[in-house]
Amino acid sequence: MSGDLERRYRRVLRLLPGWYREQWEQDMVAAFLDSWLTGDPEADQFIRKVAGPGWAEVASVAGLAVRLHLGGAGTARRFAWGQAIRRAVLAVTLVNAVRGLDGLVVTAWSRRLLGWLPAPPASMAPRSPGPFPPEVWYLVDYAWIVAFLLLVLRYYRTAQAVAALAIVPDLARVLYGQFTGKFLGPPTGPWALWVLLLLVPVLAMTAFRRDSPAAPRWPWLLALLANYLLVAVPLLALQATGNSAWLPDFSGLYCMLVALACLSHAPRALSRHSAGSGAWSLALILLAADAGAYRIFSIADYLHDPHLIAVSLTELLILAVAVMLVVPGAVRAQAATSAGPRQQQPQPG
Amino acid sequence: MTGQAFYVLTALADGPRHGYGIVGEVAELSQGQVKLKIGSLYGVLERLAAGGLIEPDREEARDGRLRRYYRLTTDGRRALAGEAELRAATARVVRARLRLAGPQGAG
Repeated sequence: MSGDLERRYRRVLRLLPGWYREQWEQDMVAAFLDSWLTGDPEADQFIRKVAGPGWAEVASVAGLAVRLHLGGAGTARRFAWGQAIRRAVLAVTLVNAVRGLDGLVVTAWSRRLLGWLPAPPASMAPRSPGPFPPEVWYLVDYAWIVAFLLLVLRYYRTAQAVAALAIVPDLARVLYGQFTGKFLGPPTGPWALWVLLLLVPVLAMTAFRRDSPAAPRWPWLLALLANYLLVAVPLLALQATGNSAWLPDFSGLYCMLVALACLSHAPRALSRHSAGSGAWSLALILLAADAGAYRIFSIADYLHDPHLIAVSLTELLILAVAVMLVVPGAVRAQAATSAGPRQQQPQPG
Repeated sequence: MTGQAFYVLTALADGPRHGYGIVGEVAELSQGQVKLKIGSLYGVLERLAAGGLIEPDREEARDGRLRRYYRLTTDGRRALAGEAELRAATARVVRARLRLAGPQGAG
């Protein structure tokens, strides 16, 4: 008979979240009783009647309960959000790397290094905005590709250092534009680009740690190639053939890419039987928040044009509808992490 | 790695142990300096299991109670070896500095 001692201890364990008790309570009770009982039936009967968990034991359970309820370090909820942040950072770095690759190809093309192609139109001359010579921007383009590859190859701190250096010229460009009056409208768009697509990802790279689960290399490396071929090249072709009017601005393109990613993930997010989709749903929500915020701040660039404002608002609406489709997956992930990590079954041997 | 996690991993280095077995081994390893409460122990075990450093080994019934044994994983063994190296290197530096400071360093 377990008696009052066990009942008193189980009462203390009610402080712990239900999912945790489900997984660990029996084990904790067994260990607690082991710490009290002697094996002598008479002595144990007496102990069971009069003893109870001391204040230090209650404090240790209370401390554990606080950590688990708040989703502290090492908990499943923290892990799911960490995974989501890492995936979102990789995705934004991928977007920047594709931009870098695009910039390098346009540069090579305009310098006639791609001999089999006709000369590009003058409108596609390599950019040299701001106070720096073009060579600085080539380095920035290279830097984002290198930062992405370093992240995928798990050189996290080096990737962060390279990306941190890469965002400095863009900061100088925004400041230069602001102080020289180069921007046509309010500078919220350029600032939003720098903060949301450059600074935030660099800071969030801190979420990559030596003990973080590695991102699968080949899918991410192939994603760089696929995004370049399927997104950047068609846009480049439209631009080169004089159809720039069909091109969305970068903010709109970012919104549409995230919306497409949400739509392609929606079947898994909506399926109750899909396992492991939670971190991706959370990552897509983070990306949608980033893209949506950038779209809202960059609308200021179009205050002079009601048509472009309408287009921007439509992009926002599409993004909002698409992200709603992945919310169930994120909600389920949160419920699952509240229900704790998957029970590990004892394995023989 | 926290001191408690280091002691728990060390307690499992020579074979699987159940919860109270770990408490006793940690107390012995630390010469009574570390007396884990059950709540603290299972906080550490949950973190180590979530990090893939330990895993359940088997369950045994005794006196009507089910005892679950835990063992180190390969990652856990590697992490423990790394931490032991780090602590040994730190201890060497401490001893060297104390020797350099000499007895007057104490005053």
